[in-house]
Order: sequence, then structure tokens, then C-alpha cells
Amino acid sequence: MQELQFLGATGCKPHCREEILRARNSSMEPSKLVLLQLKLFLILLLGAAGVCMGAGEKLWKGLGTTPHLESIFRGRCNEFISLENPELGDKNCSEIWEAFKTVFHKDPCSVLPSDYDLFINLSRHPIPRDKSLFWENNYDVVTAYAQNGRRLLPITNMLYGRIVDLLDWCRKENSSELDYQSCPTTEDCENNAMDSFWKKASSQYAYDSSGVIYVMLNGSEPSGAYPVKGFFADYEIPNFQKDKVTRFVIWVMHEIGQPHIESCGEGSMKILENRLKEMEFKYECINDYRPVKLLKCLDYSTHPECVFTSAAESTQQRIPFLFGGGWGSSLAFLLFFFGINFRNSILTF
Amino acid sequence: MVREDSSPWSQKCRCFMLGLVVILMLGIVVIFVTVIFARRRDPPAELPQWKGGGTTHNLKEIILGRCFTYIRMVNPGLRKDCLKIWETFENAFISKNPCNITEQDYQPLMELAAHPILCNKTLLWSKTNELAHQYTKVQGSLLTLEDTLLGYMADKVTWCGSPSSTEMNYQSCPRWNECTNNSNTIYWKMASKIFAEAACGVVYVMLNGSISQPFRNSSIFGSVEIHHLNPEKVPLVKIWVMHNIEEQSSDSCSDSSIKDLKSIIEGRNIAFSCENDHRDVQFIQCVRNPEQKACRICGTDH
Repeated sequence: MQELQFLGATGCKPHCREEILRARNSSMEPSKLVLLQLKLFLILLLGAAGVCMGAGEKLWKGLGTTPHLESIFRGRCNEFISLENPELGDKNCSEIWEAFKTVFHKDPCSVLPSDYDLFINLSRHPIPRDKSLFWENNYDVVTAYAQNGRRLLPITNMLYGRIVDLLDWCRKENSSELDYQSCPTTEDCENNAMDSFWKKASSQYAYDSSGVIYVMLNGSEPSGAYPVKGFFADYEIPNFQKDKVTRFVIWVMHEIGQPHIESCGEGSMKILENRLKEMEFKYECINDYRPVKLLKCLDYSTHPECVFTSAAESTQQRIPFLFGGGWGSSLAFLLFFFGINFRNSILTF
Repeated sequence: MVREDSSPWSQKCRCFMLGLVVILMLGIVVIFVTVIFARRRDPPAELPQWKGGGTTHNLKEIILGRCFTYIRMVNPGLRKDCLKIWETFENAFISKNPCNITEQDYQPLMELAAHPILCNKTLLWSKTNELAHQYTKVQGSLLTLEDTLLGYMADKVTWCGSPSSTEMNYQSCPRWNECTNNSNTIYWKMASKIFAEAACGVVYVMLNGSISQPFRNSSIFGSVEIHHLNPEKVPLVKIWVMHNIEEQSSDSCSDSSIKDLKSIIEGRNIAFSCENDHRDVQFIQCVRNPEQKACRICGTDH
């Protein structure tokens, strides 16, 4: 069609509009008019599709590359070394960035964990004994509890984890540029830049861990506290060194006010226990480890699960005297529990 | 040996060459003298020796990275030109005497990087650095100065320049007791002033009840922030006096320094309230000391 020649991907250009108007003004038979209108409609449709393609359609399911990726990367790397860990001063953030960048030579669905080998070699550093913290479905509370590495060192407080924490990155399909519109997730393809990164980093982190290994799991997660397929199961557990690890301590945390789907020894927790014991690791499991529970309580200070006993204890002591032990004191406790709640809710104001 | 075949032309040529060589040598001598003279006038730039740590290494990368992280992830939607902010920041102190920094030096940066904050979200603090920041990081809705762009970028870093150089001084920077108008102190004073001026709604303050004077006139809180709260925007200041969790809770709200604070605040037409050991903040303290009496939770003893 003559009109299409003028179009390209950007819709109807001025001179083609003139042609159409000229064609309209000249006397036309009704059938030809309808045909012309159909042509116009098709042109507009193709034009719109062209605009969509040109402007960058979302090819993948995940968020696009974080803007200013390089600046954020370098800033975090330098901050980690210069400000927080000067003993790692021999590491060079420019080198580390260059090593990371090499994955952008590959197609967005062809990135393998081994593509990060150089990056990991340059950014790897020792983990102090008894400081490793592994986790699933608990990012916020892990971050809060770890206190930026002061209490424990989850992977996001290691140099390689901190640099890319919460960032997204991938290259465009048919160009060497980064894709800021979208990036592939696991659903899109297995060998995407980010999954491969975390597979490699997780393996290294587990390999370098020693002493007591802490693991925080979520007992309110509907699909189970221990995901049988996940980074912990597939990339971390297989890489623990038997001669360096003394024992596993698992904390099964439950969300405040939500159902306890699984606790120690139940469901998937039994699977984890068996697996670790088969590997001849010592195993210990605690439900709602108190220090972490206290942290979770910050947002639920008046919730019954979070009320301090200091008020309850003094009143509780009086009751057994009246009712005797056992069932009587439980009833008394319940009565006072509600009473204290009421009193505490007044106090917070 | 005199050449027998020297024609008048080659003689002229020789004269010419000789003249050229003389001029060249004179030129070299002149340049030499100028250089020596110049060097004598401007001795090689020697950086002054201060008592404090020098500028943080890779400061530019750190500040830029923090700025981009802040506008993208901490406070998404905030539109700021991070490169311009860095330039303006550098210009405030580069090539200047780090003991003679003024508010005018930082004014352009403050204007570029300041941003509004939501009402009822301001948390001021004094002598409770670690606790206040742990609290806001976990609780997530209150903001300290270090949770705003100006504070976020400069937190825990050091910087200073020197008049004899266009570079930052990485060797040393003046400490507060060497000169009060130094690059860091002036920055924090101005940023604190702006933060206080921007506050609206209820303003929270976390003070330390385990030290002799929970409120001090000499602190940035006492000397800058409290005096820049706007009574037309801030109806109430709520003080939380926190004690070390191992101690018995005492009533620091009746402490004389807190009474002074009360009169200052009320004198500015702002209402005042004080609470000892605000429970939500205690949770943070309890994480480290779960066995303390004050930390036992009803019904979940482990």
C-alpha cells in the first residue's frame, strides 16, 4: 500500500496525511471510502504497535535494571571497604566492577553462576566463626536483627552481597546495553543474570562459613518453613564444610498474630532435620527465639504475644494463694492477662 | 683551523647560527631563572597537619552512591540531580581553609539537597545515637536527620580541603576542639537547622537518662534543633528518656535538665510531654538483653 511506505515505526508522517486528505477531497465512491478508512485504521494499528516496540516493550516479568547501577555499585563497594572494613583495603572496587560487568557480554538468558567466578574471587573475604546467618522468607527481620553485621553476618552483609542487595540488572536481548525496562526472572529463564549471581554467591557464602551456623526460617509461611527447593536447600546446604561447621541452630519464627503453620519438628522442618542429621551435622531447633521475637514485637507492642510480664508477674504471684496450683492458677492467669492488657493499653497513652 | 674556502655567504650563515645558539641559550637561562624564582615564591604545597582523621577515601564514589541509593530506594520519587549535588558539595570546602568554613559556603548545597518530610515523623536525638538509629531502621516510619538525604549522604564520613590545594586533604582534618567552624561541624549544624525547620506535627525526641544531664544546651539538639522548630507547624514535642535496660527505671522526666528543656519548649509556645522508657524503644534494647526483667514477654518464656 502506498501509505505504508511513508510510515515506519513512528506512525503517520505529515506528507502521508496530506495524501490522504487530497484523496478524501476528490470525489470518491462510498465503497472506496470504506476501503480507505479500513486502510487508515490498519495503518494506525501498525503504527501504534511500532511505537510500542520502539519505546521498549516489557520483554520479561521482572523489574528492569536499577538506574545508576554502576554508581550505586561503586559507592557501596567503597563504603564497605573504606568506611567499614579498612582491613580489606587491598581490594579494588574498579576491578570488582569490571569483573561484574563481564556478565553483560552474554545474552540475558545465558548467564551462568560460573560467569561470576572472577567477581567472587575479587570480592570474597573471610567470615568470622559463628557469625553466619542463613534464612528463607525473612528478609526484613534478618536485616534488622543482623544490625549491619554487628550481631551476625548474613550474605547481604558480606561485600559481594551488600554491593548488589535489592538491585536488579540484566542486558538487553539484542544489544550490549542494559535493559532498564525489565529483566528475566526464574519463570522467564533459568540462566538469568540475577539468579545465577545468587547461586554463585550463596554457594561461596556457605563454603566459607564456620562454627555455629544460624538459620532463620518462617513458620507462618503457607508453603512450609523449609523450602525443599530454594537457595538454602540447593546451593547452601550442599556447600557446608563438615570439618569447619560445629552445629546448626535453627530459629523457626512465626509472624505475630498469624497462624503457626509449622514449628520445630513438624512438616518440612522434619525434612530439614533429617537431611542435616544424615549429613552428620549436629542440629538444634528453637521456636520463636526470644531476641528475634522481641524485635518483631516492635510493631505489635500491645499485642498479647508481646506484652511484658513485669506487670503480670507481680499480680500472678498473689493468685495461686487464692486458688491453689494447677488449673486454678491458669484461670487466674487468664483473668489477670486480660486485666493487664486493659491496663497497659491505657499506659501507652 | 681556519677554512680557506670560507665565502662571504657561509660566514654570514655561521654568524646567523651563532646568534641563534646565543639566543637559545639565553632563553634557557631565562626559563631556568623564572622557574627557580617562581618556586621560591610559591613553596611546594604542604598540607596542614590536623589532629583528626583525613578525608574518607573514595569520598566521591561513596557520596554519589548514597545519593543515588537514597533517591531510588530509600525515598523513591524524590527527584534530585546527584552529580550536581556532589559538585556543589565539593565546591563548599575545596581550596578553602577548613577552619574558616561559613554557612554561606554550604547554602547552595543545602538548597539543592533539602527535601520536605511528612508530619509526625521527626525523631530528634541526643546522646542516643545507636539506639535512635536502630529504632528508626526497624520501626521504619520515624525519621532521624540521617534518614534524610543530607544526613544519609554524610553519615560517618569526614572531609576537608586546604587553601593550598584543589584536592581534598586525605591526611588529616581538624577536630572539633581545634576549630569550631570546620567543614564537618558547619555542615551538620546547617543540616540540623534545616531538619528542625522542616519538622511538622508532633516531634519526638530520644534522650539518654543514664547520663548525668539528659538535656545539654551545648549539644546540637540543645543549641540548634530545639530553637529552629516552628511553633506554627509543631504543636507538641514528646520526649522519650531512655535508660540502660540493666538499670532500674528512674524518673528522669523530673530531672532538672529536663525541666530546663520544658521551659525552653513551652517558652516557644510548643506543648511538652515526657515519658520514661518508651516501650517500643525498649524492644530494641531488649533484643540485646532478653533476660532482663523488663524484657520478659507474657507466655513465651524460652
